[in-house]
Amino acid sequence: MPQPVTYRGMALIVPDNDTEWKEFYEHARAHKLVVRKCKACGLMRYPALHACPWCMDLGWTWQELSGKGTIYSYEIVHHAIQPGFKDATPYCTVLVEMDEQRGTPTPDESLRIIGNLVKPDLGFEDVAKAAIGKRVRVVFQDLADHMALPQFTLSGEPDQGRVWRLGG
Amino acid sequence: MANLKDKYCIVGVGETEFSKNSGRTTKAMAVEAVRKAILDAGLKASDVDGMMSYQNGDSTFAPFVGPDLGIRLNFYMDVVGGGSSTEALIGLAIGAIEAGMCKTVALFRSMNGYTEFRIGGTGARSAAPVRGADLAQVPFGMRSAGQNFAMTFMRHMYDYGTTSEQVAHVKQAHSRHAVNNPKAFEKKRVTVQDVLHSRWICEPLHLLDCCLETDNATCVIVTSAERARDLKQRPAYIMGVAGRVSKPRVDYHWAHGPISRVAGYYAKDIVFGQAGITPEDVDITGSYDAFTFTTMLQLEEYGFCKKGEGGHYVSSGIIELGGKRPNNTSGGHLCEGYTHGMAMVVENVRQLRGTVDDTCPGAAEGKHTYDYSPGKCRQVKDPEITMNLGWAMPATGSALIMRK
Repeated sequence: MPQPVTYRGMALIVPDNDTEWKEFYEHARAHKLVVRKCKACGLMRYPALHACPWCMDLGWTWQELSGKGTIYSYEIVHHAIQPGFKDATPYCTVLVEMDEQRGTPTPDESLRIIGNLVKPDLGFEDVAKAAIGKRVRVVFQDLADHMALPQFTLSGEPDQGRVWRLGG
Repeated sequence: MANLKDKYCIVGVGETEFSKNSGRTTKAMAVEAVRKAILDAGLKASDVDGMMSYQNGDSTFAPFVGPDLGIRLNFYMDVVGGGSSTEALIGLAIGAIEAGMCKTVALFRSMNGYTEFRIGGTGARSAAPVRGADLAQVPFGMRSAGQNFAMTFMRHMYDYGTTSEQVAHVKQAHSRHAVNNPKAFEKKRVTVQDVLHSRWICEPLHLLDCCLETDNATCVIVTSAERARDLKQRPAYIMGVAGRVSKPRVDYHWAHGPISRVAGYYAKDIVFGQAGITPEDVDITGSYDAFTFTTMLQLEEYGFCKKGEGGHYVSSGIIELGGKRPNNTSGGHLCEGYTHGMAMVVENVRQLRGTVDDTCPGAAEGKHTYDYSPGKCRQVKDPEITMNLGWAMPATGSALIMRK
């Protein structure tokens, strides 16, 4: 089993038999954002489920995404719980709706991924810049030879739909 | 359970003090709460032959509580879980009795929720290794309950125009209820402005949008209507129960469907269908208030108002004592104490009996003034039907409808 990777004081543990995350992180270390794609129906899912939630097929392949998406929801943490985040407050965590497979297979479905809103250099972004409807792109935070975390940064593309932020 | 409607009851309730310094074990507290519920029901230890509990690795199992009271068990079951477990386990207790496994079940939750194991995720819990499902969100500083749920509320604000001010009314209402509850940990009236001016914890949650963390144990006793007839208290008859009902992706609640939808969407037809009533028939609600907005989300999802109008509903005065359908008349988790939902069922049982403990001069004799000003009453006048809306998280909920 690889050594745990320490990030902000947290031990991130990905044993060799963790087929949900091990290869996902290896792809991320190669700066590719991948999700599982069903071999039978072609629908993608994240996080990596072991069967297709739409057709129950067991076959899948890794599919690389463009890494582009829109902020679907967000939160701004002022009172950190984890010790490693205490010096980072306020920080913003975003739920990003990826461009691929939006509104499929039902209008309320999409591929959604959680990350922090960061600057292109991976420092936490000014939280005042967070808003639902803002466009983002993935950036990768390298943690070890076999692991990187996907994070999101504002891409500067035109907003998507109605833009809104709390108090804004 | 259409054919079981009204055939089972809650006949006894009990709890310990709500504190932030119990100074004793979860076992000691569980024994006290179970004993009080047995005495409340007018039962003997030998009458209780089933025991259940729920916990998160932070409590004592039923088989280590029963023997302290001289109870020999024909059935026991301890499950993992927090909020929304009470209602679900009441349903399982009915199932165990119906199956002939036992006759009377004591169901408890005991937790040193402040001094030992804070559900907020602080202390040792915050430093635990991150693996498996947690990897999708914990590395991004999304670990505590508030952090886990906040995006749901934020999106609800976006989708429906719900405001911080609207949900702050939940804290204001519950604080007014708690002032008249001698047991409540926080007996202080709080205004909407107090909530809005309290510091941010995790936008859109202010400090006063978040519930208390306390040490306490609670217990309810379930038995058949037939057995209940010669017991001490007026039974609270169970009309319907649902739980733990989940959204399609219970593992990652934000991954599937509209995230401003919560599990009550799926639970409401089950529980109202069993009871054969509609929300209009409910006199008192106990909508789980882990946060102000969880109360709001569930009330609208169960149909007490239209979807998206929960903010208006909770800020209209309806949920306050004296209003059309008060919610959490004890003060709930926001003000009375944090019990993972069981105290809200205890409160509704007492409301149906007409015997809530309040600050009315004649409360001890069961005389109520129905004057809800500070230092007075919190008994609702002649309630017929109550409903509990249990919350574990956006993707999991439970519900219970009782009548007198």
